[in-house]
Amino acid sequence: MIRIMQSACFVSAVFAFALILSGCSPKESELRGQELFDLHCAVCHMGPTPDLKKRPPRLEKLFALKQLPSGAPATDTQVRKTIIEGLRTMPAFDKRLSDQGLDDLVAYLHTLK
Amino acid sequence: MNLQKLVPVVLTGVLLTTGCQSSTKRYNLRGQVLEKSISTSEITVKHEDIPGFMPAMTMPYKVKDPAVVQELQPGDAIAAEVVTANNGKDYWLEDVRITDESGRKSAKPAAPAHRLEVGERVPDLPLINQDGKTFRFSDFKGKALLVTFVYTRCPMPTFCPRLSSQFAKIQNDLAKSPEDFAKTHLVTISFDPKYDTAPVLRKYGLAYLDNDPAGFSHWDFASTNSGDLRKIADAFGLEYFEEDNQISHTMDIVLISPEGKIMKYWATEWTTAELEDALRQQAKTVSTPQKPLTPRKAG
Ligand code: HEC
Repeated sequence: MIRIMQSACFVSAVFAFALILSGCSPKESELRGQELFDLHCAVCHMGPTPDLKKRPPRLEKLFALKQLPSGAPATDTQVRKTIIEGLRTMPAFDKRLSDQGLDDLVAYLHTLK
Repeated sequence: MNLQKLVPVVLTGVLLTTGCQSSTKRYNLRGQVLEKSISTSEITVKHEDIPGFMPAMTMPYKVKDPAVVQELQPGDAIAAEVVTANNGKDYWLEDVRITDESGRKSAKPAAPAHRLEVGERVPDLPLINQDGKTFRFSDFKGKALLVTFVYTRCPMPTFCPRLSSQFAKIQNDLAKSPEDFAKTHLVTISFDPKYDTAPVLRKYGLAYLDNDPAGFSHWDFASTNSGDLRKIADAFGLEYFEEDNQISHTMDIVLISPEGKIMKYWATEWTTAELEDALRQQAKTVSTPQKPLTPRKAG
């Protein structure tokens, strides 16, 4: 019995290790991106925004279509540009997010289904 | 009274009321009390990030139970729940707990407020608008003025973007009655003179003016040097400070009469309609428009 437990332990340890190895860095990036998104973007893009001149679009499936809601191409470069420079009434995040932070955010936006 | 004893009472209250207010949301706040006002049941808190609600910043909050405000002292570290209702338009603190009192003595006394009283004359300092042109409040003598403060990178939808959106609505509404339009003016002043240069303000303004630069003749987006900004903000009772390219600030809308006197402040609650009505009322105190919009034809 003890032996079975031990081997089960071993198997799950190997399994966990394999999981970490396989998805480690991109997953981490997405997780950090999610934190940044919850902090900076969710208030406008995921919730109700009364009184705003323009309702911020939902960002699910952002990269699934060829175009962003504004009609610009749905590319990583374009989305980074939107975040840094803002777009019309969307505020610019210029100097407020690091390059790594921007990468993480874009990685997370790709996961929004 | 001991705050700890209050907690179960507050909690029970919360449990009882949650059923009726299905649209409320709750977030955990941790931070330090900087100031308190018993008369308005408000505390100013320097708080950590509140995911889903607000990044770390310093701002005033209403506290549901005024007894709690009595108990709190500047310098106290607290944990509390931010409750939002009405789609985030209204928010307040509940279930406030002091987690550390040791900061009490070291806390600096709150800066004295120099806010001008209603009826006093506004300071006439130079401002620079979105076209790089210098102007002063006195240039609008004979017009009722509505003034507010924002910064273009402000990410909080219930703060600057809301203020600018409300001003945009007022601008559009007034444009429908030429007489009121001619006797009123809007001014938005930036808290962030370093970043919000004239071209940045111009781009920001155009987004709220449906891309029509003609709108600037009735709504200026202004900046000034940091010394004068501090003087104007003090005069209007605003507090702000910058940290990591993010500016913590209080909100204020000021109504100025055609004679250049402060008529009214809004700092916590208002509606677009209320602002617009007050501005139109002030405009009505001007007997004749300064200049007719179009020259009258003889005969
Ligand atoms: C204050 C509210 C606000 C915040 C905060 C905000 N946005 Fe936006 N966002 C908007 C608005 C409004 C639009 C629509 C702009 C337009 O098309 O006029 C928009 C549009 C977008 C678009 C679509 C761009 C396009 O070309 O159609 C993307 C992508 C986006 N935002 C991402 C983000 C990310 C990522 C964050 C956080 C770093 C963020 N936004 C934070 C208000 C906001």
